[in-house]
Parts: sequence; structure tokens; C-alpha cells
Amino acid sequence: MSIQNLNTFDPFADASKGADDDVQDGLVHIRIQQRNGRKTLTTVQGLSKEYDLKKIVRACKKEFACNGTVIEHPEYGEVLQLQGDQRENICQWLTKAGLAKPDQLKVHGF
Amino acid sequence: MAEDDAIFDPSLKKKKKKKKTSFDIDAALAEGNTENDSAPANDADNKESAAAGEDQDDGNVDIDLDFTKAKKKKKKKPFTAEDLDSVDNKIEIPQEGSGDVDGGVDDSFDLELDFSLSKKKKKTKKPKNLDDLIAETEEKDEDQENVDENSTQWVNSDRDYTYDELLNRAFEIMRDKNPDMAAGKKQKFVMRPPQVVKIGAKKTSFANFTEICKMLHRQPKHLLDFLLAELGTSGSVDGNSQLIIKGRFQQKQIENVLRRYIKEYVTCHTCRSPDTILQKDTRLFFLQCETCGSRCSVASIKSGFQAVTSKRAAIRAKTA
Ligand SMILES: [Zn+2]
Repeated sequence: MSIQNLNTFDPFADASKGADDDVQDGLVHIRIQQRNGRKTLTTVQGLSKEYDLKKIVRACKKEFACNGTVIEHPEYGEVLQLQGDQRENICQWLTKAGLAKPDQLKVHGF
Repeated sequence: MAEDDAIFDPSLKKKKKKKKTSFDIDAALAEGNTENDSAPANDADNKESAAAGEDQDDGNVDIDLDFTKAKKKKKKKPFTAEDLDSVDNKIEIPQEGSGDVDGGVDDSFDLELDFSLSKKKKKTKKPKNLDDLIAETEEKDEDQENVDENSTQWVNSDRDYTYDELLNRAFEIMRDKNPDMAAGKKQKFVMRPPQVVKIGAKKTSFANFTEICKMLHRQPKHLLDFLLAELGTSGSVDGNSQLIIKGRFQQKQIENVLRRYIKEYVTCHTCRSPDTILQKDTRLFFLQCETCGSRCSVASIKSGFQAVTSKRAAIRAKTA
């Protein structure tokens, strides 16, 4: 019963975590940047390539009543950009939509 | 009495063993001796103790002093020498592993048992003269003023102690015994708040930036990188060693970021001691703790994607 070798423990579980059952792997960085005056900008970097960011931004724009766009970045891939401080909103939305788990979200900024 | 002492004397290991094999008996013993909640049989005890308490209120000073001076010395020694030590040891074990919160169930049992034992010791002497016991605890309170009242409230009362009280008590004893230990008050080490001043409409000055770097024993560049990456802006240290950041930031916001920096790059991830060294080793940063010796890698600072926020025409003009 307690023989270690017979246990079905996968030592590589961590390495392949997320690859099979859910699409999002790695952290999603949610940042805020100041623009001129009181205006701010929220960027979401690191969403899985499997996701259709265009669809996501469309949904977010509607949900948060803000403008937004998808920016193609050579290093960071597709980045979501939303007007205003949408950090709370986007965290909740991504979690609710099941696109990312709360521990995969890394919120930056002040 | 002698029997009981024989049970208490053995060291931690034995207690632990006992806990596993015959915890119920122990608990029952301890509970039977303490004034307890559920058992109706204890009502009589409660009344007695209450009555005794009333008596004691009147004649407290005269009678007790007679007893205690001789008695206290005898009693106090075993209590501080053995029980406090054992408490120390008990706490230190989970503390080293830092899993004291996670392993709540097991530890709590350990603690509870420990205290029930130490309590039992007191209580087993209770039948002799309750006044004496109460007087003793009172005097102890006076003696150890640094022990929080909160944690010793149950000593005199009829109610059962809660886990938190016991935990507090254990930590207080631990702190009293090891004033230089980092796990105590030291972990909330005092930070001077950042002095943040607005410069015009678009810039912010972090006046005591260099001073705070010195306090945290970190390279100004490292903190600078972190601050700028987190705030998603640019900035630099000027001639007066103050940090000028582009954008408008309030002290509260800078404080938030600083707090995150301290959590990630200053305090030890294992014991939370701020006595740490940040080393760069093959492109990775490691946080080496001087208190507990733990060494763990910390996230490298990346500013990540930066959206274009300035006027595009200006950029085009620059690059063109
Ligand atoms: Zn440490």
C-alpha cells in the first residue's frame, strides 16, 4: 500500500501543469500606466496565444464601458490595452470567464 | 503529587508520544482538573471555586502572603524552568519550518496539550488551597508585566482558554526569553514613510529614496528598477539624491509599492526577518537570510510591456 514506487505520483506534474486541462499557462501581468493628467491605461500581458484576444477585448470594452485595443508586441506577443484603471475589473472578468485562475494573475502598479 | 510530577517531567518526546496514544485520557485529566464547561459534574467544582474566589477577595492580602512566600518559590521554579522551556522548544520547531500556520491542527494539539499539562500542574495543586493558586497567578501577573493581560485572562476565570490565547501566550513567553529573536516584534521592522512631493503637474519627487535604500540595505538601482517597473513610468535620481518620477503619485501609492518590494526582496520568505542579503548569481537574484540561513530565488524585475503614452508625433519626431 505504502510502497512509493506504486504510487501514481507524476513528478513532472508541475512541468506540464496547465498544458493539458487548461489553456492559460504562466502569469498574466496586469499593469497600470499613467497618461496625461488623471488618465490611466491598463495593460494585460501574457494571456495564452490560444485565446482570441480580439474577442476578449470586444467583451471587455462592453463590460467595462471603456475603449480598448489589442497590440501586437514582438517580445510579449499580443497585449490587451484598456483605457482607465481596469485592473480590478479585468481580474474579476478573467476569473469569472475561466480564462485564468486567480493565482495566475499578477497585478502591478500602485 | 509525586505521580503527577513523574508524568510531567519527561521531555518533549514523551509528551508527544503520550498525546498520540492516550490523548483522551490526558485531556480528560486536564479538563477534570480545570474548571470546565460541559460536564455537569463540574458544577460543584465551579461553585466551590467561586466561593473560594469570594473568600479570597476579602482576605487575599494577609493570608496569601503567608503561604506564598514559602510556597511560591517552590512552585515557581519548576514552572519556569520546565514548562516555559518546553513551550519554547515546542514553538521553535514549527517556526523553523515556517509551517506553523499551515500545520495548524497538529501544532494546535501540541500546544494545547502542552498547556493543559502545564496547567494541570497548577491545578493539581489546587485542591490543597485554591487561594494560594490564585494568589500565585496574580503575583505572576505582577511579576511578568510584559505578558499581555489578554493572554492570561483565562488563568483566573472560569472559562476555557481559546487557541488564540494560548498561542499568544506561547509567543509572548518566547519573546520574553529570546528578546533578540527575529520572529517577535522585530519582523514588523519600522520603516520611515517615503517623502513624496509633487513637482509641478507631471512629476513626483521621492525625497528620501536614497535613505530608504540604505535602511533596506539594497542597491538604489534595484529599488529604482522595481519602482519604475511597477509604476510603469520612467525616472532618475537627481543630484540631491532624490528620485524624480514621471507622473503624479501620492505617498500612499509609493508606500504600497515599497511594501511589495520589501515583501519580495527584503524580508526573508521563510522567517520574515529583514536581515537579508540580496545576491546576484548567474542572472538570478537570491535572497540570503542572515537569521535562519534560508536562501531562495526572487523574481527578477521586468517592466514588461509598456504602452505608448506620450504623443506619438513626438516620438516620430525623435526617431525620424
Ligand atoms: Zn530567514
